[in-house]
Amino acid sequence: MAAAAATGGGISAEVPILHSENLTSNVKSIYYSRTFLSIISGVVAGIWGFTGLTGFVFYFLVMMVASLGLLVKAKFSINTYFDSWNRILIEGVFGGLMSFVLFWTFAYDIVHIF
Amino acid sequence: MGIGHVLGVLGGALLAHAAYATVQYHAVLKITEEEFSRPPMDVMMQLLLGLALCMWAGLAVPAKFLSVLPHSEENRIVSLPANLDFMIFNHRGRALPSDDDLKLKT
Repeated sequence: MAAAAATGGGISAEVPILHSENLTSNVKSIYYSRTFLSIISGVVAGIWGFTGLTGFVFYFLVMMVASLGLLVKAKFSINTYFDSWNRILIEGVFGGLMSFVLFWTFAYDIVHIF
Repeated sequence: MGIGHVLGVLGGALLAHAAYATVQYHAVLKITEEEFSRPPMDVMMQLLLGLALCMWAGLAVPAKFLSVLPHSEENRIVSLPANLDFMIFNHRGRALPSDDDLKLKT
C-alpha cells in the first residue's frame, strides 16, 4: 500500500504529496552509489600516490562525475524521482569523504610503504 | 548477476592488478635507487580504466529510480482499502443448494 507523505510547507503554501516509499528507496540507492564510489576513488588515489590536497581534489572530481552520472540515471528530470536538487548534488558527498580518506591511506600504505 | 556486477568485479580486478604492479615498480625503483614520482603509464591507464568500470557499476547496480509523483502511471492504487461497508458476512448463499459437481458455464 502506498503511503503518501506530506513533505512540509507553510499553512498557506501547498503541501506536495509524494510517494514516500519510492523516495526513500531512491535516496538509499544514491547513498549506496556514493559510498561505493568513495571507496573505489580512495583505492585509486592510494595506488596513484596522491598526497595532500591533490587527493581531496581528486575525490571531489570523482564526486562531480558521479553527480553527473546520477543525473543521467534520473533522466535529467529531478522532480519525477526526488523532492529537491540537493538530494543528488550535495547529499552523501561529505559522508563519503570519511570513507575516501580511510581507503586512501589504507591503499597508500599497502602499495607504497610496505 | 547482471552486467553491472560483472563490470564491477572486472574493475576491482583491474585495480588489484594495478596495485600489484605498483608494488613491483617500487621494488624496481629500490634497486635502481630512484625517487618515486608516479606509477608507470600503463599502470595509470589500468587505474583509469578500472575507475571507469567501477563507476559504471556503482551507478548501474543499485536499485533503479522509482517515480515519486502520486499520479504517475506506475503509482496507481488499484486495490480498494479494507472497508467494512463493502464486506458481507451473513448472506443467503448458504441457503442455496450446493452441488459439488456443478461446473461454471463458459
